[in-house]
Amino acid sequence: MLELIDLHRSFGDVVALDGVSFEVPQGRIVGFVGRNGAGKTTAMRIALGVLEADAGEVRWRNAPVDTAARRRFGYMPEERGLYPKMRVLEQLVYLARLHGVPKAAARQRASELLETLDVFGSPTDRIESLSLGNQQRVQLAAALVHEPELLVLDEPFSGLDPVGVDVLGEVLRREARTKGAAVVFSSHQLDLVERLCDEVVLIDHGRVAARGSIEDLRASRERNLWRVEVRGVEGDWWEAVPGARAVSRVNGAVVLELSTHADPQRVLDMARGAGDVVAFGPVRPTLAELFREVVA
Amino acid sequence: MTAADRGAWRLVAARDFWVRLRERSFLISTLINVAVICVLVLLRASSTSASPSFDLGYVGGPRVAAIAAGAATLGGGAAVVVPVRVVDLETAAAADRALREGSVDVVLSHGGLVGLEAVDPTLQDLVQTSAHDLALAATFDRHQVPASQRDAASDNAPLDVAVLVPPPTAEQTGDAGVAFIGVLLLYGQLFGYGLWVATGVIEEKASRVVEMLLSAIRPRQLLTGKILGIGALGMCQLALIAGFAIALASLTGALDATSGALAAAALDIGWFILGFAFYASVFAAAGSLVSRMEELQNVIVPINLTILVSFFVSVGALQDPNSTISIVASILPVSSALAMPVRIVLGAATAPQIVLSLTVLIASTVALVPIGARLYAGAVLRTGARVKLRDAWGSG
Repeated sequence: MLELIDLHRSFGDVVALDGVSFEVPQGRIVGFVGRNGAGKTTAMRIALGVLEADAGEVRWRNAPVDTAARRRFGYMPEERGLYPKMRVLEQLVYLARLHGVPKAAARQRASELLETLDVFGSPTDRIESLSLGNQQRVQLAAALVHEPELLVLDEPFSGLDPVGVDVLGEVLRREARTKGAAVVFSSHQLDLVERLCDEVVLIDHGRVAARGSIEDLRASRERNLWRVEVRGVEGDWWEAVPGARAVSRVNGAVVLELSTHADPQRVLDMARGAGDVVAFGPVRPTLAELFREVVA
Repeated sequence: MTAADRGAWRLVAARDFWVRLRERSFLISTLINVAVICVLVLLRASSTSASPSFDLGYVGGPRVAAIAAGAATLGGGAAVVVPVRVVDLETAAAADRALREGSVDVVLSHGGLVGLEAVDPTLQDLVQTSAHDLALAATFDRHQVPASQRDAASDNAPLDVAVLVPPPTAEQTGDAGVAFIGVLLLYGQLFGYGLWVATGVIEEKASRVVEMLLSAIRPRQLLTGKILGIGALGMCQLALIAGFAIALASLTGALDATSGALAAAALDIGWFILGFAFYASVFAAAGSLVSRMEELQNVIVPINLTILVSFFVSVGALQDPNSTISIVASILPVSSALAMPVRIVLGAATAPQIVLSLTVLIASTVALVPIGARLYAGAVLRTGARVKLRDAWGSG
């Protein structure tokens, strides 16, 4: 388990992290969300040891992170980076060896990954000659080539086409479920986070604003919302329903927030009385809605 | 620190060595160096083999022939032998042609001496003396002066000639040539490979690969590997070029003292290592302050100027290796790697000076490397605007 414990970090007068703590357990995928400048990249860089924290601690498997532990980490920085003139395979082998993988094993692993990730072109192509999508795949291969126990990916989905998104999602699931790696990634694509992640950490202004499984987050913030669509009705029929309040109205449908003592069946009856009910159901807030609510 | 930690810099060094070895710029710089060496060595070879000798053509009767023959005799009997070959050119047209073709240096006729562009004063003296001797002999003959009195009358006893500043002996000019080639190579290697360290650092910053690297190894390991890899390549190239220069020089006869040249080559390689160690971390720190190649010039100028001035002072030391400025330059750490080898090759450096110079250079390198490494570590992950020295120091 990766533990970030009360991390603080400032750049000059700007406070990037103001006491960030969370965990990434093995075999789990943690989504790291927050607005631009909330401190995601800083926290990830500190976890990787690329940046030093002003205060706080990073622990891996109940011990402070040292160089040997760091070698078992895989990283995809937000600013993608590979040697542009180096050949694909050579580059992957070099990075694997920097992580302590022996030469022969590094070659084999790199070749396998290029195949699994479906990188077009020859392993002897220079990075700069590859298309952007292919460079992304090589970048992912670079993060995976030493079979890391922890994967830290900063915006791994940005710039990927839908197929690339599926491939990457599958890779992350496999790393976590099959290989038992701890995976944490940041993303602004909240639907993806919702789909892939076991847990979410929501960071705002350098602090953790919310964390936990998406279900828990929902439960903690769930409001009693119901969406009702009625045809052939004039006027605001729900005003007569006790304990109901309209939250939003879209194309003939209305989202009602019910107070705890209000009965949804009573609402349905009232709606049927007013006109033809086309749709009626509870509204589950999306991660995006929770996110907006938390950071608002 | 585990065993794998200690090995990380080796991987970096190996990459920097082999990647650059395969780069076109390495091939080009090797070829340019080889070309410069060829020109310098061949120039020397032609100037040393051209010991003065003359081809003297003449047109005219027996008197002219006798003067020419006399000049050749005088040249052959001189303290420093001046070989003069006499050619009978028969006609003025032939003489003109021979001059223009260069098959003779000077043509003697009744009208006097004619050269193509100039008449060598040595040859002119020989001819003049020969004519004078002949005229004198004719006068003696006419007056039937006894042979016993002739020498006294013509007073041919040579004057004792001495000079205060002796002209350089062949060995000394050889040493100056070796020293010049040496300082030229050292300057090129020191600046060229230092620049390679700086551009290597910027390349990793600009392509952002540095963040990938630093998630696996520490900044100081990356720096150490880079400097050692590039330095090793510089050393190999220097050894290659020096070996080529020595081989070429001994083939063309420009150098006799091959063992001396080998010693000079070893000396240059040794001073390259020391000078590169001194400058490399400064180059790396300078490179880490900027994020794009275009900005390199701004940070490199002070280093560039320092090395350039050291180079010119060292070239000056070729002329006067014992001047105050030469001695100071050979001891100051910024210039000693260039100036001291010159003074050693010229035989001007004393043992205490060499020891002092080495001590100062090694001590200041030991002091400078941690400073350069700290600046590098503090700046290498900061992309965007140029990093201020104080900020780099603060976060290093």
